[in-house]
Amino acid sequence: MRLNAAKLFALLATILLIGSLASLSLAPPLAADNKCKPVGEDGAMALPKKLSSSNGPQEDKYTTADVEPLSSVNVDALGLRTPRTLTVGTQPGGPPSSCMVGERYSGYDNELLRAIAAKLGLRVVFAGTEFSALLAQVATHRFDVGSSSIMATEARRRTVGFTNGYDFGYFSLIVPSGSTINSFDDLHPGQRIGVVQGTVEEAYVVNTLHIEPVKFPDFTTLYTSVKTHQVDAWVAPAMEASKVVRPGDTAFVVAYTFGGGNFIAYCVAKDNQPLLAALNAGLDAVIADGTWAQLYTDWVPRPLPPGWKPGSKAAPMPHLPDFAAIAERHHRAPDEPPPPKSTLAQLRDSFFDWQLYKQAIPAMVTTGLPNTLILTVSSGVIGLVFGIALAVAGVARAWWLRWPARIYTDIFRGLPEVVIILLIGLGIGPLVGGLTNHNPYPLGIAALGLTAAAYVGEIVRSGIQSVEPGQLEASRALGLSYNSSMGLVVMPQGIRRVLPALVNQFIALLKASALVYFLGLIAGQRELFQVGRDLNAQTGSLSPLVAAGAFYLMLTIPLTHLVNFVDNRLRYGRSTGPQDPMDRILSTTGQEMP
Amino acid sequence: MTKSVAQPPAVALAAKPQSVSLAGKGIELSFGRNKVLRGVDIEAPAGKTVAVIGPSGSGKSTLLRTLNRLHEPDSGDVLLDGRSVLNDDPNKFRQRIGMVFQHFNLFPHRSVLDNMTLAPRRLKRLSADEARELALAQLDRVGMKHKCDSRPGALSGGQQQRVAIARALAMAPQVMLFDEATSALDPELVKGILALIADLGSEGMTMLVVTHEMRFARSTSDTVVFMDHGQVVETGPPEQIFEAAETERLQRFLSQVL
Repeated sequence: MRLNAAKLFALLATILLIGSLASLSLAPPLAADNKCKPVGEDGAMALPKKLSSSNGPQEDKYTTADVEPLSSVNVDALGLRTPRTLTVGTQPGGPPSSCMVGERYSGYDNELLRAIAAKLGLRVVFAGTEFSALLAQVATHRFDVGSSSIMATEARRRTVGFTNGYDFGYFSLIVPSGSTINSFDDLHPGQRIGVVQGTVEEAYVVNTLHIEPVKFPDFTTLYTSVKTHQVDAWVAPAMEASKVVRPGDTAFVVAYTFGGGNFIAYCVAKDNQPLLAALNAGLDAVIADGTWAQLYTDWVPRPLPPGWKPGSKAAPMPHLPDFAAIAERHHRAPDEPPPPKSTLAQLRDSFFDWQLYKQAIPAMVTTGLPNTLILTVSSGVIGLVFGIALAVAGVARAWWLRWPARIYTDIFRGLPEVVIILLIGLGIGPLVGGLTNHNPYPLGIAALGLTAAAYVGEIVRSGIQSVEPGQLEASRALGLSYNSSMGLVVMPQGIRRVLPALVNQFIALLKASALVYFLGLIAGQRELFQVGRDLNAQTGSLSPLVAAGAFYLMLTIPLTHLVNFVDNRLRYGRSTGPQDPMDRILSTTGQEMP
Repeated sequence: MTKSVAQPPAVALAAKPQSVSLAGKGIELSFGRNKVLRGVDIEAPAGKTVAVIGPSGSGKSTLLRTLNRLHEPDSGDVLLDGRSVLNDDPNKFRQRIGMVFQHFNLFPHRSVLDNMTLAPRRLKRLSADEARELALAQLDRVGMKHKCDSRPGALSGGQQQRVAIARALAMAPQVMLFDEATSALDPELVKGILALIADLGSEGMTMLVVTHEMRFARSTSDTVVFMDHGQVVETGPPEQIFEAAETERLQRFLSQVL
């Protein structure tokens, strides 16, 4: 293949650009400290001084008076999706409560849930998902339990059931440096107040502050937007925010408040009373034996709000160290504006952190890459087979073949991929749960494959229709049936002509495979984007996403050039040997496909 | 390449089949509201050559396609060897009728040899070797054996049409239909193809030849049929049609083309 001068120049320019940016990071990188690890007692925080306590813990009518004894829990009657296994949905982007350590879904919430499950004699399987989808997924039994610092609010209790509380939440107010906002009282309509979609912070901003917030899918994106002044303030869960906001960032915490006065709990499907009772029993058990206090001290050490304790009303008061005093000793909590870092240094930390690349690449090679390839290739095969069937039906003489193909194509080509993935994954998922063993992976493949089929169908149909009618006529005149003529004469020519368009479709499919993460995948099922995303959420750096991007490029760029190669080959024939017979036809056939 | 394709048993299928008559009776056909054939009666007796002439759009090509049931007539009948075939399996029926097209319609993605062997192998269940021998014999007959491994695109128009004729003959048809087989050819190539068609006729093949070559129609055919507006206007031996046209329409047509 010829690389002409312009191409060569573009290539060189790209290499130089990447090289110069990368050289920035030859300077020793900041320690890539993982936010998903227990800080221990020494990391204790005092209760925030600027706490607006007007909304303190309220009269609590939901906490149970006591629990059934552990010994009376029948683990086979908990209505679990998989016997004796808790399938748990979690949004791993909220350290220290809910986050990932390597392949392990960890953080305070998830480690505590493991301890509770151990008391009950249950296995635990975690899957990462979007917070905004989590409650719905628990309500529809996609997960047995939702674990993600979920505040048990009135509104949420209409959708799901909640256990007794195991933590208590504050909100913090985070603003970019130079902001004039100093307290919750400074928030007004017209400002861009960021929240994570579906969280209690969103409800708080809407219902209590009466401001329409800007909604984000996760903390990481939101915090990046705060730092870059794209939002005026972020109302965040305090514990998570204390992990995300780091000294030297261009944003900091200016105030705290008790949110709606609700505790944090695990959610289960509303109709699953036995599981609720079992989890409550397990929670009281880990409180009684000191496990709760240990995990709380390890992960989220700060004083309990006055007048509140975890577990049922009958649970013993846990023994916790005097966090306030420890925090005092360490002179912690000066929420003072730090000196901002240079833009260049920020850029380097965000995009070119070699430490993070080193951390990301093994997981991407062993987990992300194989899964992306499995998703793409299997949905590609479905798309090709089903797409060819659609194309054949689309040019059939019988209306009862043409019409369904037409309608199918219109629908699946007309919907955004993410909508199809969610509709099939969350809508069809429960119906075929028995077949897929409630594993969303095949559903993701099906959704991608069915979408691809609509495009492939149109591409192949245009290819078939570009074959001169005389070909079909000649074949039939020889005595071959319509079906044989299509299969032996028309289709091979039609598909050859649209090979470039088909490869393009495959590239689109490869990229769309990133959307499957919406369905909630267990650690070993994560594709490239999700692996990068999780590490990005753990560290706040965009470097893992850059690494994921590099992997996609390594896959797509060769494919793009394969398209060009195939295209040239079909257009101008082989570079050696006699003139390729396809030339005559191809030179008269448009190659542009939708 | 072997020269000894002559007479081994495998080529038995290439032996000259019994020619039979092909006829259309009262054929009518419409495309939507457009009446293309309005009660056409035509007959090619066994072993005879019938030339069909007429202005463009007169329905000649459509008539040929109706006679081998690429189009099904709205009414009327198609008779092969005197027997109606409209209730037969159309694919089986078409195997007995060879057809050659104006634009050759060779399969560009297959070699000349594969073009030749596709139908015999699929429909007559010949082995690869049998089909190859049969194909080479037919290619030899049209003088194209040396091009058997080429792709159609590498051949000239005249060569492609020779292959197309050989491809049709490889199915050992009882009747051959030619649809303006020389119209797309460069003038210097026309003669060779017409000679080839004439040879076929002299060997006793029943043929219907739609053509614009009046000299060919006059010199080679046994009967000439003049069509206009989806109807047969005049039928007769060539001398009568060309020397003593009865109808004003035929006279006008001849004055325009001769």
